[in-house]
Amino acid sequence: MKQHNIRLHPLGKELVVNDQTPLIDLLHEFGVEFPCGGRGTCGKCQVSLLKGKITVSEIHRRKLDHLHLPSNVRLACMSLCTESITLQVEQYDHLILADETNFEFMPERGFGVAVDLGTTTLVTQLVELNSARILAVETMLNPQVKYGADLISRIQAGLDGHSTEMTLLIRSAVGNMIRLMMEGAKQIPDKVILVGNTVMQMIFSGCDLTPLSCYPFQLENPGTKTFTASELDWDFPDGTKIEFYPSIGSFVGSDILAGIAATGLHRKEQYTALIDLGTNGEIVLGNRDHIICASTAAGPAFEGANLSMGMRAVTGAISSLRHDGKTIQSSVIGNTKPRGICGSALIDAAAILLEMGLIGDFGEIQSGENSILIDDPVRLTQKDIYEFLLAKAAIATGVTILAKNLGIETSGISEIYIAGGFGNYINLKHLLSTGMVETTGDKIHKMGNTALIGAKMFLFGKGELADEILGKTSHINLEAFPDFQDIYISKMILG
Amino acid sequence: MNEIIEKLLEAVEFGKIDQKSPYPPQLRGMDGSHELTQQALAAGVDPQRILEDALIPAMGNVGKKFAENKIFVPQMLMSAKAMGASMVQLKPFFASGAIKSKGTFIIGTVKGDLHDIGKNLVAMMVEGGGWTIVDLGVDVGSERFIEALKSNPGAVVGLSALLTTTMVNMGDIVAGIKACDPATKVLIGGAPVNADFCRSIGADFYAPDPQNAVEYLNKLAS
Ligand code: B1M
Repeated sequence: MKQHNIRLHPLGKELVVNDQTPLIDLLHEFGVEFPCGGRGTCGKCQVSLLKGKITVSEIHRRKLDHLHLPSNVRLACMSLCTESITLQVEQYDHLILADETNFEFMPERGFGVAVDLGTTTLVTQLVELNSARILAVETMLNPQVKYGADLISRIQAGLDGHSTEMTLLIRSAVGNMIRLMMEGAKQIPDKVILVGNTVMQMIFSGCDLTPLSCYPFQLENPGTKTFTASELDWDFPDGTKIEFYPSIGSFVGSDILAGIAATGLHRKEQYTALIDLGTNGEIVLGNRDHIICASTAAGPAFEGANLSMGMRAVTGAISSLRHDGKTIQSSVIGNTKPRGICGSALIDAAAILLEMGLIGDFGEIQSGENSILIDDPVRLTQKDIYEFLLAKAAIATGVTILAKNLGIETSGISEIYIAGGFGNYINLKHLLSTGMVETTGDKIHKMGNTALIGAKMFLFGKGELADEILGKTSHINLEAFPDFQDIYISKMILG
Repeated sequence: MNEIIEKLLEAVEFGKIDQKSPYPPQLRGMDGSHELTQQALAAGVDPQRILEDALIPAMGNVGKKFAENKIFVPQMLMSAKAMGASMVQLKPFFASGAIKSKGTFIIGTVKGDLHDIGKNLVAMMVEGGGWTIVDLGVDVGSERFIEALKSNPGAVVGLSALLTTTMVNMGDIVAGIKACDPATKVLIGGAPVNADFCRSIGADFYAPDPQNAVEYLNKLAS
């Protein structure tokens, strides 16, 4: 078979690939993002051709024209390698939230590994169980991102015949991370506990994704999945107990179960909420008597997808904004020139633009123009602001409906914890002023990676903690709530 | 008389439902579409004129502003509600034949999908364009579309889908409808759908927004 050399600039990497290899298969490891899973709809996987040719299909040409791109730019997801080429790719550094929070535990012998298996990022920690000390940490991007940024795209990829590949990819990635930690710390874990959303659990476990692809989105068996190391092709002794913790229901997985453990809301007398500000916007509300949860489908705006210049919290992303009444100042991750805007700064932008009177309560740009300059060349368009409104209203509606289900007002929630990928950058004051979370400043707290904290807590004992929470927790389908539309649309208004 | 029609047009365009509704602030305290329609009918204005000279142009302006991102979902919904307050009073005239509708539009969210806000907005805007709406709700498969077509021969069908995994069901529904009656026009929309997909499943038209749907339908009717 013919082979070609692919050079990646400025990384200085050179790869040898077979003829007709799709670029998507090579590039995702080097930081090129494929938010729509290579369906050619988002136009974010742009690469510049420095040398050589990539043949452009008719659909590819139409997309390029539509995006008004320079003539040497290609969409990686629609490109095949048919000769030796040199490409310019933007490399991203991913800031992934690990965790060093202290928590209560009963000392045990041995070592454990906690795994937060996120849709976007993976974090593993090796923990000494008699001290809860963290001996090693590994983080990486979920290698499945080449199949799309959001869960439904992963499900679609599974239905399109990629499920085994996704299963093997994720198992080997997590296996490698654990091996690296073992080598560094020279310890073998006695147990490994994984948490993640329902789709991640099903893909890791090699289960059929069809039930999660359409209504009623119910799994036959969302319970704990147990594995041996050899089953997963991980090279450590079979004595190690490996468990993927149970999902709560529908799209709410064990990452949220772990989040509940981390906040301790299952032991509190007062109503407490946990909000995970991600694509799937999981919300939990309850106390020591009963807990309900739902996913609100906030959409990918917080991850930067669907925004004209949106991106995740990686190098070059504007991560926060401030203003002095006249001008807007921005902080850019990696202190470089801004390339786009990520979720935390999107929230800042909405709050600040409203405060400065540049947008109205409906998000409408007051100047009548179609976009606002944030930090050259990054602009926020009118449509971007509307995307934000859809996402913020979804979160606010979720909390309102859960509270109604428990027969309380949102003002009756005594504490609200915010988790989520970009959680650390969030400006809580701005979160409140947009109306995304309807409470007062003293009741809202950031909590970082609650999934990882909870997974570490689960390493202690024999599953009693998770059982206690599961026993009190039920999942609610928001679509069943008759007033959804009216509440949702009223929450689109800012403030 | 013209003055009432003008006021009604303004009330609907800006979402003023009735006199006591606080929205929009600039029309606070004024009569809303509820009162203005009552006044128009009492003054003997032809109901067809109320539809054609007030409601249809008002909703057309709303649809255009929405398509240009000048307004968003909440404002569109308020206008649709204001239109509804007028439309209920016109219903008897549709029934008696004093007002002629442009045609019937059957709409539903496809099987497996429960998202209905976009579909509802499209239904309201098409109604405001002078069409009769048969809304089949959510999670609708081809059988129910075909049944509705049997009771409303000649109707145009609209399909909405919001999930990548359910938009594929549009293909089956289009095929089912065309197998029964190849002449039936099928219009599709929803966030993950696009014109390429529309062609690939043999649907007749892809509308990115409600206004586009209304304009396509009006072309069919003319
Ligand atoms: C016939 O001709 C036409 C012509 C034009 C047509 C047309 C038909 N239909 C629409 N149009 C067009 O005109 C309208 C006006 O411009 C537009 O309609 P839209 O519907 O696009 O726009 C509406 C006016 C406003 N937009 C919306 O109403 C959708 C907003 C978001 C936030 C959304 C909502 C509100 C909901 N959701 Co859902 N939800 C999301 C959405 C994410 C987002 N930020 O967009 C999306 C669509 N949801 C998603 C998902 C995954 C889900 N949701 C689910 C549930 C829900 C809620 C119940 C919470 C709620 C729906 C309530 C309801 N009654 O509709 C679940 C499934 C429910 C089901 N069985 O269908 C669930 C599966 C799981 C979940 N909980 O996360 C995602 C789909 C991802 C994908 N790749 O397919 C999603 C993009 C969010 C995400 N997680 O990324 C145009 O598309």
